[in-house]
Amino acid sequence: MMEHILEVRDLYYTYSDGTQALKGLTLGIKQGKTTAVLGGNGAGKSTLFLSLNGIYKPTAGEVLFKGLPLDYSRRGLKDLRKSVGIVFQDPDSQLFSASVYQDISFGAVNLKLTKEEVRRRVNMAMEQTDITHLKDKPTHCLSFGQKKRVAIAGVLAMEPEVLVLDEPTAGLDPMGISEIMKLLRKLQAQLGLSVVIATHDIDIIPLYCDYTYVMDQGKIVLEGNPKEVFSQPDDIRNVNLRLPRIGHLMEILKDKDGFVFNDTANTISEARRVLKAWKINQE
Amino acid sequence: MINIDKYAYSSKLKQTAPLKKLTFAMLALGVGLWADSVPVSVLVLLIMGYCTIYKGGTPISLFIKLMLVPISFLIIGVLTIAINASGNKDIFLFSIAAWGTHIGVSQLGMQQAAHLFFKAMGAVSCLYFLALSTPMVDLLAVLRKLKVPKLMLELMGLIYRFIFVLLETADTIHTAQSSRLGYLNLTSGYCSLVALTSTLFIRAYKRSDELYTALEARGYDGELNVLEEPYKTHWTEYIAPVMINLALVGLALLLKQYTGGVL
Repeated sequence: MMEHILEVRDLYYTYSDGTQALKGLTLGIKQGKTTAVLGGNGAGKSTLFLSLNGIYKPTAGEVLFKGLPLDYSRRGLKDLRKSVGIVFQDPDSQLFSASVYQDISFGAVNLKLTKEEVRRRVNMAMEQTDITHLKDKPTHCLSFGQKKRVAIAGVLAMEPEVLVLDEPTAGLDPMGISEIMKLLRKLQAQLGLSVVIATHDIDIIPLYCDYTYVMDQGKIVLEGNPKEVFSQPDDIRNVNLRLPRIGHLMEILKDKDGFVFNDTANTISEARRVLKAWKINQE
Repeated sequence: MINIDKYAYSSKLKQTAPLKKLTFAMLALGVGLWADSVPVSVLVLLIMGYCTIYKGGTPISLFIKLMLVPISFLIIGVLTIAINASGNKDIFLFSIAAWGTHIGVSQLGMQQAAHLFFKAMGAVSCLYFLALSTPMVDLLAVLRKLKVPKLMLELMGLIYRFIFVLLETADTIHTAQSSRLGYLNLTSGYCSLVALTSTLFIRAYKRSDELYTALEARGYDGELNVLEEPYKTHWTEYIAPVMINLALVGLALLLKQYTGGVL
């Protein structure tokens, strides 16, 4: 099994108005893992994502899917978009149909499958995202979180290998955030999907992601698993980001209050483990 | 408008095949217009009202309120037909003399006005029946089956979907403007409205761009093809709607024969 299902090599992208959004960006998306692309507003995350399934053609550099450079012909793009699905940040700009069922079927119908196969996939996608009860509802009567699920189902119905999500947690309440992230985790485990999320919601990264890239001004400035990335607080803060709250607390306890911990912690469970170890050490 | 949509989704007739409802409403509309008869139009109005309220479960108050919507236009239109001017006083049922002529209501004018009024009310009730029992999505599916051009249907579908987004955006902008006293007096009100409209255009343009990108990402190739859930119908279901309309036609013919088209 190859390690990287998607690879980006030295990618440059310049918009027609002259804005340089990507300036020599290199990264790899690991197969079957959840990868986070962390970056502040305007770091170029959305541009990168639209380059991943060929909507944007890079000015320089290349994108590789399963080790082969993207084929920008009509056929090639079609095959690529079947395998790399994008869920956009605002579901209202993705859902075009007033019927939930019809919207979900759109991508699958475009793959020219038989009616039975489309129906099977749509039903499956609705089950996986837990929205079967919304089937007959009009799109405009759904809540924001429900629309988001419908948008995800619409991409899942194409049975992609890579699921790319732009700001999946933006605009959701705390409950909605944890539900969506758990859903993505479940999909990844069940279907063996490779999941890529762009986010600036820092606290979800140590909880749900396997690998992290930190982006700033069109480049990757930091990478590693969440633990490695967040053990470099200065670099993180340099690009207008911060540590997870728990990580910040542990840092303050260590630096200002003189606690001696044997490890770092970025989530509540990690913090408990470290603090328990500290307590045992004291006794 | 948005309310009508909600009622259509909660109508008890939603599960009925849309083609059947469309056939029923359109036939009745056609018969009402063709017959040009007060009793037939009233009957159409009553049948549609009955179906909407008792079969569909739409609140009677809503139906009456909706029927009142066209009335103001209708009354103005009808008045201009009912009131005539003529030099001959005798043709009027009642009249007043003005500017050397007589203005008043003649029997013929009265009759025409009544015909027009009830014909319009009957026709409107048919459309309300359809609108209050059939969601847009179902209607589009039927039109597709009837081979209406695809481009038109796609446009209808997209417009319908994004009317709600547009209204929501307009509403948000309006609220934001009002909370900064944008509509305090007439002048500032007009200024704010101009800003709202132009912003709305720009937003709509941006939104269409985003939509296109999103569609492209799901393999859009120029046609919005989707899977439709088929309604199971049997031709026998069309007997009742057709029979009702045939009865109306029969009634209209009888009336024509015995009253000479007065009613």
